[in-house]
Amino acid sequence: MRQFVRRNSGELLLVGLIVLAAVWSSSLSPYFLDPVNLLSSATSFVIFALMAFGLYPVVVQGEIDISLPSTLAVGSVLLGKASVAGVPLALALPLVLAVCAGLGALNGYLVAAVGLPSLAVTLGTLGAYRGVAYIIAGDAGVVGITPEYTALGSTWIGIVPVSIVLVLAVAAGFALLMSATSFGRYSFAIGNNAAASRMGAVPVVRTRVVAYSLAGAMSGLAGLVWVAQYQSARGDNADGAILFVLTAVVLGGVSIKGGSGRVAGVLLSLILLATLQTGMQLANVPGTSQTLVIGCLLVVSLGVPRAIALFRGRRRTLAPVRTDPPHGPDDPTPAVLEKQRG
Amino acid sequence: MFPFARHRHRRARIATVLATAALAVVGCSSTPPQASAPPAGGGEAANSKIFMAPKFTGLAYFEVAKEGGEKAAQDLGIDFQYIGSDKPDATAQIATLTNAIPQRPAALVVSAIDGDAVAPALRQARQQGIKVVTYDADAAVDSRDLFVNQLSYELAASTMLDAALMNSPQGGKAAFISASPTAPNHTAHVRIMKQLIDTDPKYSSLSYVDTVQYAGDDAQKSQEIALNLMQANPDLKLIISSSAVSAPAAEQAIVNAGKSGQVFATGFALPSSVRDFIKNGNSAAFALWDPAELGYVATTAASQLAAGKITAAEGQEIDAGAAGKYTVGKDGEVQYNKPLMFTKDNIDSFSY
Repeated sequence: MRQFVRRNSGELLLVGLIVLAAVWSSSLSPYFLDPVNLLSSATSFVIFALMAFGLYPVVVQGEIDISLPSTLAVGSVLLGKASVAGVPLALALPLVLAVCAGLGALNGYLVAAVGLPSLAVTLGTLGAYRGVAYIIAGDAGVVGITPEYTALGSTWIGIVPVSIVLVLAVAAGFALLMSATSFGRYSFAIGNNAAASRMGAVPVVRTRVVAYSLAGAMSGLAGLVWVAQYQSARGDNADGAILFVLTAVVLGGVSIKGGSGRVAGVLLSLILLATLQTGMQLANVPGTSQTLVIGCLLVVSLGVPRAIALFRGRRRTLAPVRTDPPHGPDDPTPAVLEKQRG
Repeated sequence: MFPFARHRHRRARIATVLATAALAVVGCSSTPPQASAPPAGGGEAANSKIFMAPKFTGLAYFEVAKEGGEKAAQDLGIDFQYIGSDKPDATAQIATLTNAIPQRPAALVVSAIDGDAVAPALRQARQQGIKVVTYDADAAVDSRDLFVNQLSYELAASTMLDAALMNSPQGGKAAFISASPTAPNHTAHVRIMKQLIDTDPKYSSLSYVDTVQYAGDDAQKSQEIALNLMQANPDLKLIISSSAVSAPAAEQAIVNAGKSGQVFATGFALPSSVRDFIKNGNSAAFALWDPAELGYVATTAASQLAAGKITAAEGQEIDAGAAGKYTVGKDGEVQYNKPLMFTKDNIDSFSY
């Protein structure tokens, strides 16, 4: 039991915060606890969730990709154009996902093969891909999306919107990918020590390019959700969304320095953020206060585990600032960390 | 989620995922589930609640419009709430609107940040009997009942050009700073200003830089663009912007560059943001309308729709008391059309 708590302390903290947030939200607004409303509010977060899961392996590898919302816009306007042109979705979707994966692969190539810093590369492509989206969409954007393309936004299983099911399926997929495949093992290894991984015959370049391509493809999928939910596409779709996506990943306990983090954490942090925002919006809390609460939450969730560690006097574990131990199955360092934990 | 994976479990897991997916497909439907009835205690009171959602909160222009809405609500004896995120993006506004629906306001008064993307949320609101009025920036026509348009695009364009000629009576070369290529009102303003300069003899003394720059309602970026425009076009006389953020920022850039009196910024701006420029003689005129009265008219129209006094049919009249009477035009568009020109003589009489 103690071991379970220790291993899952980050996730348990998030679960606790979610319960607190839900209690607080239901006291703020009588409309909060209605499951239909709750699920319909949750669909607003699907786009962020898909990008967050896509970003997760990249961050585990110790890199960053802030160009994802721009890739989403390229995906959404391409799908919009394809829909208006009468291209069947079964043909357009794989093509668009491939294009978005290609945009991601270009990021990955520049980072991994050319060796440029990922923040700089994706800062550049953040602007460049946005420009591409504007050029494809034109000034007015695309409207008149056909029902085939919008089905994802208007189908329910019982009372659960299909887009929510999609998020859960994607979460399960990434959990499998990161825990049961060599890609996952390599990702944790690279994030912990890229140089050592290279010496250990880990295909660093290929693994990074795959992670970035996957992130691009997930953004393309988020583009489909955009088109389906909002029945339109414009060059400025999801502009500024990266802050929320990054918040979700970091709040989920994925170390920004790489090498650790779990899908469960990311999913829980998304649920927490969605709970808080929905509750505050249902209670018409002013926008500035909402931002303040989310900001404080981020600081608290990162600070509490560290404060607990300090309180327990385990100063040695503080050296590598990790709120969550690495969990790659064949991760090279857990043994070292366990030793540090005493 | 599966922190201690072993390869032998992989097949079982994949099978589970596939089985779940198959189950999910079986139960699909395309009719939205209905939320349970709102909690009791509503009745008459719940039906006189109006929510105003600006593009985003914290921008002075929208805060002034909010005051107008509040005043209308006071005069009409209804409940008024100002809702929204402080982030200028469509997803934030959509989330705000989605969460407004379960609260069952009688009407929503909305300035759409992306008129097409917010349309599904507004349509959903209308399906549930909530009246929707847009102000400042319209949404898709079928997603709202009324649009209270501050100034027709044509009137807005000619007003800004008039302000330009008041600054530089002998005309000269003008450059445009717009908000974003996806803001329909801003793009229309620039297009019509170009047309007027090309065709209307009144404005023939003006010429323009064809490329339009976009500052995204950001003061810092507007200043940068204004500075670059002056450097790239030594013969520039005027910088015109229909963004209430960009126009004063461009004037600030002119003052900072020591070009005051040679180059003039004009366009739409809140009087408080250009008071010093006009009093110091850096600029002769800026224009706008009264955002508070716009908010007042939009809120009044929403309340009359909700009370069933009007149905948004063409030709109907909206009586906004001291704020005037307005007729519903084609496609539910109501023209407010009261431009204001701020000059040395009247700038002190505006408090916002």
